[in-house]
Amino acid sequence: MESDPASTLTGPGRPSPPGRPPRPQSAGVAGAYAVLAGTLLSLIGTCWDVQWHVDVGPDTFFTLPHLVLYSGSAIAGIAGLAMVLSATFAQRAGRPVDPTVGGSPVRVLGGTFTAPLGYLVAGTGAALFLLYGLLDLWWHSLYGFDAVLNSPPHVALFISVSLTMAGAVIVFSASRAQRWGRIGFVVSIPVLITFTPITTNALNGLGLPVDHRLAGTVFFAVCFVLMGAITLRHRWVALSIAAVLGVMQLFVWWFSPWAAKVYADYVGLPLRDNLRDMPPQVPAGMPMFLLAAALVMEALLWLGRGRGWPVRLLPQLTGAAGGVVLGLSMLVQASMLRGGAGGGPMGRSATSATTVLAVAILGLAFGALAGYLAARFAVLLRLNTPAADQESR
Amino acid sequence: MRDRAGALLLALCVVGAAALLWTPSAQAYAPVEPGQAYAPVEIVHTEQVRAGPYHLTVGFSTWPLRAMQSLDFTFTPDGGLTGKSGTLSMTGPGMKAGMRNVSPLSRHPRERSVWGLDIQALPTAGRWSFTFTIHGPQGQGTGTLSDITVLDQPGPPLALSWTLCALPVVGLLAFLIAAWRRHRPSRHLVAMGV
Repeated sequence: MESDPASTLTGPGRPSPPGRPPRPQSAGVAGAYAVLAGTLLSLIGTCWDVQWHVDVGPDTFFTLPHLVLYSGSAIAGIAGLAMVLSATFAQRAGRPVDPTVGGSPVRVLGGTFTAPLGYLVAGTGAALFLLYGLLDLWWHSLYGFDAVLNSPPHVALFISVSLTMAGAVIVFSASRAQRWGRIGFVVSIPVLITFTPITTNALNGLGLPVDHRLAGTVFFAVCFVLMGAITLRHRWVALSIAAVLGVMQLFVWWFSPWAAKVYADYVGLPLRDNLRDMPPQVPAGMPMFLLAAALVMEALLWLGRGRGWPVRLLPQLTGAAGGVVLGLSMLVQASMLRGGAGGGPMGRSATSATTVLAVAILGLAFGALAGYLAARFAVLLRLNTPAADQESR
Repeated sequence: MRDRAGALLLALCVVGAAALLWTPSAQAYAPVEPGQAYAPVEIVHTEQVRAGPYHLTVGFSTWPLRAMQSLDFTFTPDGGLTGKSGTLSMTGPGMKAGMRNVSPLSRHPRERSVWGLDIQALPTAGRWSFTFTIHGPQGQGTGTLSDITVLDQPGPPLALSWTLCALPVVGLLAFLIAAWRRHRPSRHLVAMGV
């Protein structure tokens, strides 16, 4: 793959060749929302599958939760492939390739294909998901159908899904001049955030000196919320992202145990004995109080922009404040969701002064780093489609 | 040109679906009907434990045991489960004091007449022990099945598996570094604003 822009790169900022109009936006809307729908299915399928293992247990490759999970990547992958082929044929026919449809086109395999960046990333994630799915089948044939999240193929599968979700974010950021693009952008970011606790679970066996789940949640949630707010530069974007995440969390909180029970009834399997009154595993790991952190970040961005605070410092400051609030809110969340003798889906919770101080420092450090990177990622997203009309909305 | 693109896309979809459905692994796991989708529990080895007044038969669906390889365990008290309850504690190599995980004995999801664990793996090789505490009509009893040998994990070394499965992360980092070096986002930050 070469990352050189395709030779026919044009955009709204450049005039199209006369008589050869760019492809209509409807194709871009369909492709973008197909990728987003695929990522949503992946998220729902994952939550359902994990809850199935917790509440019911027995597993094969062809279960309904697996079907939903795999169909999500299939839909996103086919949509990405279709958009890449569309851009390739357009480029070969001499038509301009619109960078607002999926991002700047890049040459792949020596120019054999012309791929909009977002669809390339989403499609690569879907293709990797298929490959690692086959590896996962082999793994299960060797080790059995163990229900562990952090086996090597499972982690690779989760990262592949995350790549597709990141591709969806790039696709919608390229269309941020359009209302449908901004809506999709605000929805695609929380999808990515909701998946990060599952992926950071892979660090479980490393024995890190910090709580990897807490650090991962603070880092990725703050980074992606700020990245969204800085990319769109609209007020209320951070709050909107957090609100959409809350809606998603509520939905999978209800859906996962419900679907596990309905499916168990359908296949004639009982629920496990001794199921404790625990919240659903994946939704309980998502940050419940992201709105509070988003409110702080929104306020600081508004203040900083209005009073002309240094641009090089504002993202870190905002991220650090958001990180502290989110970190401390995760302590509250862990305390609320603690199950049995201290071990719930959020792990053990302790509320000593030392713990609070340690979490505040962790939130400060990871939040500041997330803020630094968020501003740079936002620049990269904006440079991906730097057309004049995108900037002067 | 659009017709060619459509035909190519359709062909790719058909080939991909056929490849998935015709893999031997996929066929091996394809269920016939919902009720037949889940294999019955087949015990190939048993051990005996005495927990106070109770006698317990511990069954294994795979023998010998290997680290990370999941199997079904069954725990069958003489006289059945009626009127009995209990807990199971598993200890193994590398587990520190206090890490002992005590869980209530639950019926096996696919063999409801006995207690058990479905598709569970012991993570490390070495000697494991299972301690049972049973409550029943004859009071409480505790017994331990010790010296269960778990052999090394099958398959390639874990480091190789992790290396292979970390390639998407490596690719993602390489992509981000390439984008960063090409565009130097810090230089554009002030001009673009936040």
